[in-house]
Amino acid sequence: MHRISKLPFSFRTALLLIVPVAAGLLAACTPENNQSTFGTAGPVASDQADLFIFIFWIAAVVFILVEGAIIYAAIRYRRRSNSDKLPYQTHGNDKLEITWTIIPVLILLVIAIPTLTDIWEQQNGAPTDRGEVLNVEAIGHQWWFEFRYPDHEVITANELHIPVNRPVGFKLESEDVIHSFWVPKIAGKVDMVPLNDNYLWMMGDEVGEYYGQCAEFCGIAHAHMRFRVFVHTEEDFNAWISGMHTASDPPTAGSAEASGKSLFAGNCSSCHTVDSTAPGSYAQEISSQQARWNGWVSDIENSGIVSAPNLTHFGTRSTLAAGIKDLNHESLVEWITDPSTIKIGTRMQDHAAVYNTADGKAKLTDAEISDIATYLLSLKPGSGSTDQAMDMSSGKDVDAVELFTTNCSACHSTGDDKIVGPGLAGIGERAGNSVAGLSADEYLEQSLREPDAFIVDGFTPGLMPNWDKLGDDSIDALITYLKTLE
Amino acid sequence: MTQAATTEHHTPVEHTTTGLNNRKLLMWAFLGSDVMFFGAFIATYLVYRGKSLVGPYPSEVLNIPITTVSTFVLLMSSLAMVLALHYVKEGEKNKGTLWILVVVVLGTIFMGFQFVEFREFAHLGLTPRTNIFGTTFFILTGIHGAHVTIGVIWMAFLAYSSNSGALRSDNALDLEIAGLYWHFVDIVWIVIFTVIYLISANDAPPPGMESVIH
Amino acid sequence: MTTNALTFPRFFPRPQSETGIWGWIGTVDHKRIGTLYGITSFLWFLVAGVEALLIRVQLASAENTFIGPEFYNQLFTMHGTTMVFLVIMPLSAAFFNWLIPLQIGARDVAFPRLNALSYWVFLFGSLIMNAGWITGDAPNGGWFGYAPNSGVTFNPGLGMTYWVVGLNILGVASIAAGLNFIITIINMRAPGMSMFKMPVFTWMTLVTSVLLVLAMPILAVAGIQLQTDRVYGTHFFNSLAGGDPVMWQHIFWLFGHPEVYILILPAMGIVSEVLPTFSRKPLFGYAFVVFAGIVIGFMGWFVWSHHMFTVGLGPAANTAFAMSTMLIAVPTGVKIFNWIGTMWRGNIQLNTAMLFSISFIAMFTIGGLSGVMHASPPTDSQQQDTYFIVAHFHYVLVGGALLGIFSGIYFWWPKFTGWFLNEKLGIANWALMLIGMNLQFGPQHWLGMDGMPRRIYTYAENMGWEGSNLAASIGGFILGFGILLFMINIVYSRMNKKIAPADPWDGRTLEWSTSSPPPVHDFDEIPVVVYRDDFWFKKHPETISEYYHNDHDVEDIAPSATQTAEEHEDDHGGHEGIHLPDKSYYPFILGVGIAIFGIGFLTNTYVIAAGVPIFLWGMLGWSMEPVNDPT
Repeated sequence: MHRISKLPFSFRTALLLIVPVAAGLLAACTPENNQSTFGTAGPVASDQADLFIFIFWIAAVVFILVEGAIIYAAIRYRRRSNSDKLPYQTHGNDKLEITWTIIPVLILLVIAIPTLTDIWEQQNGAPTDRGEVLNVEAIGHQWWFEFRYPDHEVITANELHIPVNRPVGFKLESEDVIHSFWVPKIAGKVDMVPLNDNYLWMMGDEVGEYYGQCAEFCGIAHAHMRFRVFVHTEEDFNAWISGMHTASDPPTAGSAEASGKSLFAGNCSSCHTVDSTAPGSYAQEISSQQARWNGWVSDIENSGIVSAPNLTHFGTRSTLAAGIKDLNHESLVEWITDPSTIKIGTRMQDHAAVYNTADGKAKLTDAEISDIATYLLSLKPGSGSTDQAMDMSSGKDVDAVELFTTNCSACHSTGDDKIVGPGLAGIGERAGNSVAGLSADEYLEQSLREPDAFIVDGFTPGLMPNWDKLGDDSIDALITYLKTLE
Repeated sequence: MTQAATTEHHTPVEHTTTGLNNRKLLMWAFLGSDVMFFGAFIATYLVYRGKSLVGPYPSEVLNIPITTVSTFVLLMSSLAMVLALHYVKEGEKNKGTLWILVVVVLGTIFMGFQFVEFREFAHLGLTPRTNIFGTTFFILTGIHGAHVTIGVIWMAFLAYSSNSGALRSDNALDLEIAGLYWHFVDIVWIVIFTVIYLISANDAPPPGMESVIH
Repeated sequence: MTTNALTFPRFFPRPQSETGIWGWIGTVDHKRIGTLYGITSFLWFLVAGVEALLIRVQLASAENTFIGPEFYNQLFTMHGTTMVFLVIMPLSAAFFNWLIPLQIGARDVAFPRLNALSYWVFLFGSLIMNAGWITGDAPNGGWFGYAPNSGVTFNPGLGMTYWVVGLNILGVASIAAGLNFIITIINMRAPGMSMFKMPVFTWMTLVTSVLLVLAMPILAVAGIQLQTDRVYGTHFFNSLAGGDPVMWQHIFWLFGHPEVYILILPAMGIVSEVLPTFSRKPLFGYAFVVFAGIVIGFMGWFVWSHHMFTVGLGPAANTAFAMSTMLIAVPTGVKIFNWIGTMWRGNIQLNTAMLFSISFIAMFTIGGLSGVMHASPPTDSQQQDTYFIVAHFHYVLVGGALLGIFSGIYFWWPKFTGWFLNEKLGIANWALMLIGMNLQFGPQHWLGMDGMPRRIYTYAENMGWEGSNLAASIGGFILGFGILLFMINIVYSRMNKKIAPADPWDGRTLEWSTSSPPPVHDFDEIPVVVYRDDFWFKKHPETISEYYHNDHDVEDIAPSATQTAEEHEDDHGGHEGIHLPDKSYYPFILGVGIAIFGIGFLTNTYVIAAGVPIFLWGMLGWSMEPVNDPT
């Protein structure tokens, strides 16, 4: 009497229920969605999806049986009429209870086996037997992603390019808060934790464009910290790499690009590098980025600089502001004019001097903004015959004012104002007295060639790049010019 | 904690399911909770050992001989505590009061050592804001010091009760409960002494990072 | 208040006021404190519910600009924090307070004044935590407060300081309450009530209390560390000085996972009382259900890193924590099967309380199954920090804890108040909540698998997330209407009182043996317990042999019970001296002192000094006022 009666429906009927219901649930998943974890394009994500579906089917069976039993019991044994009849007061059934303790253990064992294989396959470093591993360092910043290719000395931001069918080994880092690196269609996420470098490998097995997004809450613009991944054929990838080493063609004098270039140099270049193509520029950008971070973190309230994406060959990108908007002239103008219309909380608007206005909009005319946008969109691999830095070192027709505007004015005013570095009015007189034993010329030359040898009190070391690349003639011209500043 | 000083009142006999006194059980349960509290702080200290980016480093500031003396003082206070409870239970009011006072004095001396140590460290340039070692050291020993301070105040209160006759052999439980707390705080110090002073006192600065000149 | 005419010194007289505000401020009666907990946490429930609805409005469509990111971050931070610490935990505490003395046949808790202190400290802590809404900088670093985003470097201002100070104060309240209920349950049981004759709700309260006492100190450590970081510039979680952000996660989740069971075990206890009552059958496999609860409470300590599968702890750690996490599904499954076993072949009365309990099993099962899915680190790496996780824990906490608590409210309301809640409104209330929560949290599974991260205030149009989000928002409002109907039900039933007898449901446990509502002293005569579900078997003695037939329990039970009854005859036979604790204002005063300390950390150190005299006044008064109850 107190034994549980035979189950109300046979396993076969249960299956008849399970299959359509569960299949319906799975079908509601839309693999074509941009960040769906189902329409996978790489072995890591597809193993993860397979494991999920495996567990899902087991769960579906348990679900139907348990929910079926609940509903059946509630209906079958509900009180009919007003009978207060007492059912048999059973205390339980030890055998039955032991059985339903052991069955879940067995089910979980079945789930545990593929779980363990997947853990050790996915989290134990990139495989060595699936092709040469491409190393990438991905760094989360508030609120954008930086990608460095140490094997190729290439740095880019927010758009990651990888070759198809080659494992990519990521070193994941962060300096500010915790972020999480996630490309749902290619691999599950791994966090980017300050002081704790993490590793992740993935592999794209289908050429295409994929969506990625930061998955760990990282502050005000967390929702707007996205990125794209481009999986290329090996040839296209190699072409992209070599493009990243080819300088853009210099703008023709008097063009919108030329005007944009000098406006960019004056207003944006203290944080954004646009020319990381020449040999050595990779190391230079890493140390500049570090210096920007140091500058920001040492004076968060008033800093004029902040970590910022490298914009080399920006014109080849398809999105803007960390994967938020399609990149075109119109959206770029909107972004430069008032970044918070696209991304509330962006650090650029808080720190760049050009946004130091009552309404937070850029201190530039519409035409100037348009020129900057035109210039940035023109940044693409050029014909390959010239390199900016080499061009300068040739030393012909050195125009010191132009040199200063292009290379120095983003951080130094010719008056007394501090921008990022000190104002340079009267530097010629001060230079002779700054460091004992150095004449004004020697001091200025040292400042240009070894900026960290002497830092004026209250300024951040490591921030100013080494200007050796300008060449001797240009440096001499600059020193002469600097001494004329009153 | 203690009964009102002048009561003639006969406390209703407490019947508990287990026969254990409620307040005594409460103290035991609280100490269990406190174990987790100190445990998490001590774990933090251990995990953060050697993680300081700047000095001073443990070997530059910690003074084992002096702390050994203060540790000995605290251990002796536990002995005094045992004697105090013994005499209070025996109904020897004066001896009981005296030994409770010894606990108070020894506890105060221990706190004095800690005060001097903190001042010395601040003088050597180590504060809770200096580095990871400073942060973990001061907060852990500071939290322990707060426990000792509470214990000293409690024991002073009991010394007063004993002297005024409110603490007698029939309610010696009041002292026993305070004693549980006191012994626990002592034991925790032994762990802290081991972890901070004996284990990490030799954690020297990385070469070139020495910051304190002896 | 009491017939006991013991009066004491002149300096610290105990208050006598029974009514009005002073009656409530001075109360030490467990039933009144339970009511205070219930009302306060229900008000916070409404606040957190409105926060949730604002979030749902914002997410109802892509690129919505209804709410900006700053406010959104504050909303989700306070929604989570409030629901966990100011709603589910104190609502459970309301049940502990009301029911534990009644279920174990006691006149009050072991330490009535400590109990009052717990409430006042909880109240002040909750106010401090929410003070940011008034000053305009509510906490915005998430209920999990991950460093370094919760530190001053990246999160300046007072926001997260309110959060951490409030949390530390709430911790004091929780530890005090936990200690109190442990001692009460261990030491205050009616004669004859051995541990394995205790009601399951009492058992789950005991397990929860042990978890509180052991887990809250760990949160206190995390809280103190973050607080000194924010207020005094220490470096526990300052990654710039070498403080490790992962350390915060370990400490927080070492507390945080037991916390999950602190939230769900009381509801499991409630359901374990409701199901047998309305199936008119004893709980199926009492021992299994109790042991499963204990095992869950124990194993809950070894699974915390499953919140950190994507933090990069390495394959070995992830393997270990995946295994322990999967194992914890076993005792949970045992409970579900035993509940179904309880209903099986019963005579089931489908009233509101029962429907809530049945839905609890059904919904909690869904939450459990999705839990197994992310117990596997590889699948979790796709689910962690997405809406899949949001869906999972809302099925556990709304479908589980909240439905369980509502079941308890409908079940014990007549006991608490002496009148019934309306059944028709009740069933509508249940249906709306059940439909609403499924429509709200069901589609979030798909959102998660479609790659929508948590804690984003907006999303792009081309992601395919609009439909599910809109459905979830509509579901949220249906759930909201369900809650509204509950409040209407209270008002309506209050106006059309249907008086409840002492034992309206043919109940099984001791609380039904006293009047509804119970007298101040709970029981005219302390009951003597012989059987598990003693009250039931005394009403239906013909069923004793069915329950105890060929059971090894039976030989132990009958004789020992008789003995116990005789033993205790002397203590409880004569009840001319019913002894009740006196009222006291000192818990309130001490609570104010603690609150001022908290405000001091938020403003400046001198305020802390101002709190000292009030704190000492409270301590001194507490220990000097005439004592006829222990603490």
